Amino acid sequence: MSNFLLFLGIGLFTLVFLCLYRGIFGPGILNRIAAISAIGTKTLVILLIMGFIYNRVDMFIDISMVYALLNFIGTITAAKYLEKEGEV
Amino acid sequence: MISITDDIIIRTVSRVLVPFIQIYALYVIMHGHYSPGGGFQGGVILGASFILYLITHGLKDAKKRISELKAGLFSSFGLLIYSGIGLLCLILGSNYLDYGRLSTILRVIPAQARSLGILGVEIGVGIAVMAVMFSIFFDISTGGVLPEDEEGLGVRDE
Repeated sequence: MSNFLLFLGIGLFTLVFLCLYRGIFGPGILNRIAAISAIGTKTLVILLIMGFIYNRVDMFIDISMVYALLNFIGTITAAKYLEKEGEV
Repeated sequence: MISITDDIIIRTVSRVLVPFIQIYALYVIMHGHYSPGGGFQGGVILGASFILYLITHGLKDAKKRISELKAGLFSSFGLLIYSGIGLLCLILGSNYLDYGRLSTILRVIPAQARSLGILGVEIGVGIAVMAVMFSIFFDISTGGVLPEDEEGLGVRDE
């Protein structure tokens, strides 16, 4: 079970780099916002997998929840910045 | 100046989500000594909830909830709680922030006094960090010029 979770985490970790490519070179700003949001979601799942591997999921679920909330606020802020150019 | 969003979805979702973020922030502050987190982290989450409200509901509405003056007062109040508990330990004849001596006035065993003392300090740190986070965002988003200042300076409001 631990090996399965480890390889799942490594697979998600490689997918982060594909999203990062879209975040850096992506055409347009909307692709970038979506890519950063997807990276945040993947990080959340990787954190939970780490919690299952170390048998401390009660600790890691707190951190991942904070990560999800701040990711949501960051995406909203970036979208608000885009709504009227140059104004938050 | 930040204005209210026209999108009803973002407004409704953020209005529903803000109380849950604040409850979660209080949980992080209260469970700081059992789980990850503590005063600073909980304060940041609490400040983020106010920042979310400011972004989605505009500056004018957010100023009614917590103004710049209130944010300054809250940051000083949090620092007062922190340093007050520290000085109380000093007055009772122990080191600064040595909570064990608080057992003489709380009438509990020293181990429990340490737990209560660090909880009080974390509440103070949480309040101060929340107010300072909000204040920094407020200052950056307005560029240091508040709407009432603009009227005084003769700058036209958009």
